[in-house]
Amino acid sequence: MSTLEVRSLHKAFGGLDVISNLNLTVPPGQRRAVIGPNGAGKTTFLNLITGWLTPTSGAVLIDGQAVATHPEEVTHAGIARSFQRNLLLEDLTVVENLRVACQAFHPCRRVFWRSKREFGDLFEQARQAAEWMHLTDILEVPVTHLSYGQKRQLEVALALCAKPKILLMDEPAAGTSPQERARLIDLINRLPKDLTILLVEHDMDVVFATCDIITVLSYGKVLATGTRRDIQEDPAVIEAYLGRRHARG
Amino acid sequence: MSEEVTIARTTARDDISPAAQVRRATFVLVGSAVLGALALPWLSTSYATTLAIEIMIAAIFASGINLLVGTTGLVSLGQGMFLGLGGYGIGIGTTVLGLPLWLSVPATLVLVATLAAAIGAVCTRTRGVEFLLITLAFSQMFYGAAIKLRLTNGSDGMSGIPRPDLGLLGLNADSPVVFYYYILLVTMLAVAAVWRIAESPFGSVLAAIRESERRAAAMGYAVSSYKVGAFVVAAVTCAVAGILQSQYTYFINPDSMSWQLSGEGVLMVIIGSTTAVAGPLVGAAVFVLAKQGLSVLTTEYMLFFGIFFMLVVAFFRNGVVEAFKSAFRSKP
Ligand SMILES: Nc1ncnc2c1ncn2[C@@H]1O[C@H](COP(=O)(O)OP(=O)(O)OP(=O)(O)O)[C@@H](O)[C@H]1O
Ligand SMILES: [Mg+2]
Repeated sequence: MSTLEVRSLHKAFGGLDVISNLNLTVPPGQRRAVIGPNGAGKTTFLNLITGWLTPTSGAVLIDGQAVATHPEEVTHAGIARSFQRNLLLEDLTVVENLRVACQAFHPCRRVFWRSKREFGDLFEQARQAAEWMHLTDILEVPVTHLSYGQKRQLEVALALCAKPKILLMDEPAAGTSPQERARLIDLINRLPKDLTILLVEHDMDVVFATCDIITVLSYGKVLATGTRRDIQEDPAVIEAYLGRRHARG
Repeated sequence: MSEEVTIARTTARDDISPAAQVRRATFVLVGSAVLGALALPWLSTSYATTLAIEIMIAAIFASGINLLVGTTGLVSLGQGMFLGLGGYGIGIGTTVLGLPLWLSVPATLVLVATLAAAIGAVCTRTRGVEFLLITLAFSQMFYGAAIKLRLTNGSDGMSGIPRPDLGLLGLNADSPVVFYYYILLVTMLAVAAVWRIAESPFGSVLAAIRESERRAAAMGYAVSSYKVGAFVVAAVTCAVAGILQSQYTYFINPDSMSWQLSGEGVLMVIIGSTTAVAGPLVGAAVFVLAKQGLSVLTTEYMLFFGIFFMLVVAFFRNGVVEAFKSAFRSKP
């Protein structure tokens, strides 16, 4: 059970303010969506939370504690993420991708004098992670040979291997088939209820099917936060983003 | 009745998957290589034994380089520095400080590991061409120092490097055959050790770093400390090759630290295959034999070796060993 809290977060690239005075609290177990037009600063926001970027000012806290500043420390602090652009171990098999991801939390991770095959529990964990994402049939396939949709699913599975308290996903449904999207929705809804989730997503069907509260970002500022109904009726949101597609929904 | 037998046979044949076939072929090959290596001094001329010694020392050197180049994806052009330091380490230990060899060898390896940790901490902040250039710069620094250092006779080099004292076993390492078996033993141990490290949990993190440094960090690995670890293991392995090389010739000079030697090591790794266990061994054998063969024919062997290397890379894109493996897989 973990709370993610962001306080007056600010990030500027040169003269461009990409995130300005962003405040946001996600209580334990909440499924929060962050939506917004292209270039709104959603990915930058995730990069600031996970240590890939350093904020110009402001703070990110988990359960009131400042988050570490290096990506690997953030992962060990219980925040895992998937990336908007696939970041996979392309020449390795699906099962090896998952196994190495699980290994990061295993005492054997620095062991160099024994074979990795001696740690069978990691293969078991990898197989389980594959099952969640319906990747069991392609365990031994090198990632390069997967379809784009399968790679997107592996992205999420790798984040889950870290057994996070807070899970961040950056457009997990982008480029997936309707079938894969349905599976993703199902997966997110089957995850433990105490897992806090922050989902960045353009596909509103996925957002509405999985998240209770939606935050709308535009030009690095929070435009509105609320339920599906609140958001759909908010004039500023309609103006900035939803107007084109879901205002009538 | 006869039909049943046919069916049974077919299933039995189907059970041999391509992976199992490759495994079986590898087992047979490795087995015959070990047997051949054990029998070599009795089967052939002393010239072949000499060549085999050179191949094995080169194979240790290439194995160290492959842990960086093939496993971790860091192309170093400075591994000759550690080969040279291995030779100089026992040279200084035994002839200058008068220490016994059994003490000079571990002391040298510990010093090389420490130095490699420091140099690695600097070099692994970079990647790609930058890493190649900074490792090259470090090795040139040591090369320059070795040329100037009076303690080790500058560019003339040090002679009188001792071979191990095997008197207790009633053997004399100055005998080519005894020395051959000594090298064979160390090579098998060193290559097995590097192979085990590459197959270990630690080694799998190195492979993850090669594939995507950012993903490895996102998974929760402190990438730079793993890279320094790989750098240290590679350096120690190259130092072992340097120790053997200096014992083989009873001599060490600054040429062992030259960038050409580091480059030759990388060529061996690429020729053999960066992805296969036997890659560095095969690469070393092909390299040493080709160099020998060409230098018998012409003094400009490097020119022809360049052409030979291009042909290998053109026809065996992933190295000789991978070509062998895929030939096996595609067999009907
Ligand atoms: N490293 C950087 N340097 C300079 N500008 C950047 C950098 N990263 C992002 N930006 C800019 O910040 C703005 C927000 O980018 P960001 O990738 O966070 O948007 P996004 O909301 O994720 O968009 P999308 O929906 O297209 O993924 C964009 O204008 C982008 O050009
Ligand atoms: Mg984005």
